[in-house]
Amino acid sequence: MSGMLAGKTAFVTGGSGGIGSAICTRFAREGARVVAADLSPAAETAQGVDFVDYDVTDEQACRQTFDTLGERWNSLDILVNAAGIEIEKTIEQTSLEEWNRIFAINVTGTFLTCKFALPLLRRSAGASVVNFGSYDGFIADPGLAAYCATKGAVHALTRAMACDHGPEGIRVNAVCPGYVNTPMLQSFFGDSGDIESLKQAVRDVHPVRSYGEPEDIANLVNWLASDEARYASGQLWIIDGGLSAQVQQMRL
Amino acid sequence: MKRLDGKSALVTGGRRGIGRAIVERLEAEGARVMTCGRGARPDDLGEKILWETCDVSARGAVGALAERVVEAFGELDILVNNAGLQIEKTVVETSDADWDALMGANAKGVFLLCRDCIPIMSAGGSIINIGSISATAADPGMALYNASKAFVQGLTRSIAVDHGPAIRCNAIAPGWIMTGMADAAFAVARDPAAARRDALRRHPAGRFGAPGDIAALAAWLASDEAAFATGQCYTLDGGMTAASPLNPGLF
Repeated sequence: MSGMLAGKTAFVTGGSGGIGSAICTRFAREGARVVAADLSPAAETAQGVDFVDYDVTDEQACRQTFDTLGERWNSLDILVNAAGIEIEKTIEQTSLEEWNRIFAINVTGTFLTCKFALPLLRRSAGASVVNFGSYDGFIADPGLAAYCATKGAVHALTRAMACDHGPEGIRVNAVCPGYVNTPMLQSFFGDSGDIESLKQAVRDVHPVRSYGEPEDIANLVNWLASDEARYASGQLWIIDGGLSAQVQQMRL
Repeated sequence: MKRLDGKSALVTGGRRGIGRAIVERLEAEGARVMTCGRGARPDDLGEKILWETCDVSARGAVGALAERVVEAFGELDILVNNAGLQIEKTVVETSDADWDALMGANAKGVFLLCRDCIPIMSAGGSIINIGSISATAADPGMALYNASKAFVQGLTRSIAVDHGPAIRCNAIAPGWIMTGMADAAFAVARDPAAARRDALRRHPAGRFGAPGDIAALAAWLASDEAAFATGQCYTLDGGMTAASPLNPGLF
């Protein structure tokens, strides 16, 4: 344990997911007390990580969770909004119900969690909020229209919160991952062909010749959560193996 | 075990300011560090840190510097292109000599260092270029400086694309960091003290940056923790550019 987060408290939504659970594990290893908030517990939970049943779309439940957390912790130092879903459709294929659902989780969920966490974050000596944007908030992937739109909204919310709550000692950033080896990516590959050859093609298009692992994203979230990043705020941190540094590669 | 144990680093412009903070931070993280500047070795430089006198805009001098790196370290793991200068002039006021000095250090210097050092870098090497928030939004009266930093950030992407996966390359775009350069920028304001107060209120972080803030990100980018980060220009500005410059509260 290198202890970059020793003594800190952390609340991670989507804490049972691919990237969320990697973040919880890393935070615990760095000495933080961690609450993993999700609809169901992860298959394996690292020592030092407590699970709490949490639905980011339920206002009453969000308020209650932070009321309860306030009885347990004097302050919250780190909030990570990693809960999110993806819908692999164009807008024409997307029903209003699906559109509202992805916005409820990816955008409204971030809003509600931040809103009810703010009183506890203010009591921290230096709080850090890390939202989940995406490189898809800058450049579209085909057939992910609603998802791209939710991530653009998270990016704008991140800057707005940094602006409003910076003077209260709260830093707000977003991490914007590219392709990361998670169940979500597997689902994105879907039935577009042989999954192994797709994986190789995806690797080949990256300047680092690999897609990311959840731990790569946790490395950046850990840095942003720590006091090392005490001057970092209001930024959208793309981490994508160089994918968006290059223009579209023609097959000639 | 420190994060940069066993790694070697070359940091240009390590005499003072951000460069010096990066030099000291990389060393504290376990790296063997060489730095350079145009003048003689500074008296207060840590004794284990190697110093070379070098003008980064001079082709021969940079080639010789790369040879010194090989003699000292064998391979190079970390290159930080920090050396740079600032000239507070519009295009019309800028002389040919200003162009040569500024573009020589800020643009040609980064190119020469990358060209001579990439061949001696290890697989897994990391290049960190110091860009600026001025690369994407102009600071008034700093025409060539702004343009030179846009060059740095463009080159950063090219190196990441052309030399990955062996080498990662990222840029850091600092905002207002309290160094001699920032003091010079405030000095040209009609009322430097008022300008400083106004600038401070535009920072959600409630303060200006310190060289150590930039060094903290450089150390992370230099480390294997950042294995998936390449081709990016990361802004570190206390939230300043996240907010609109049109701030009714400051009218």
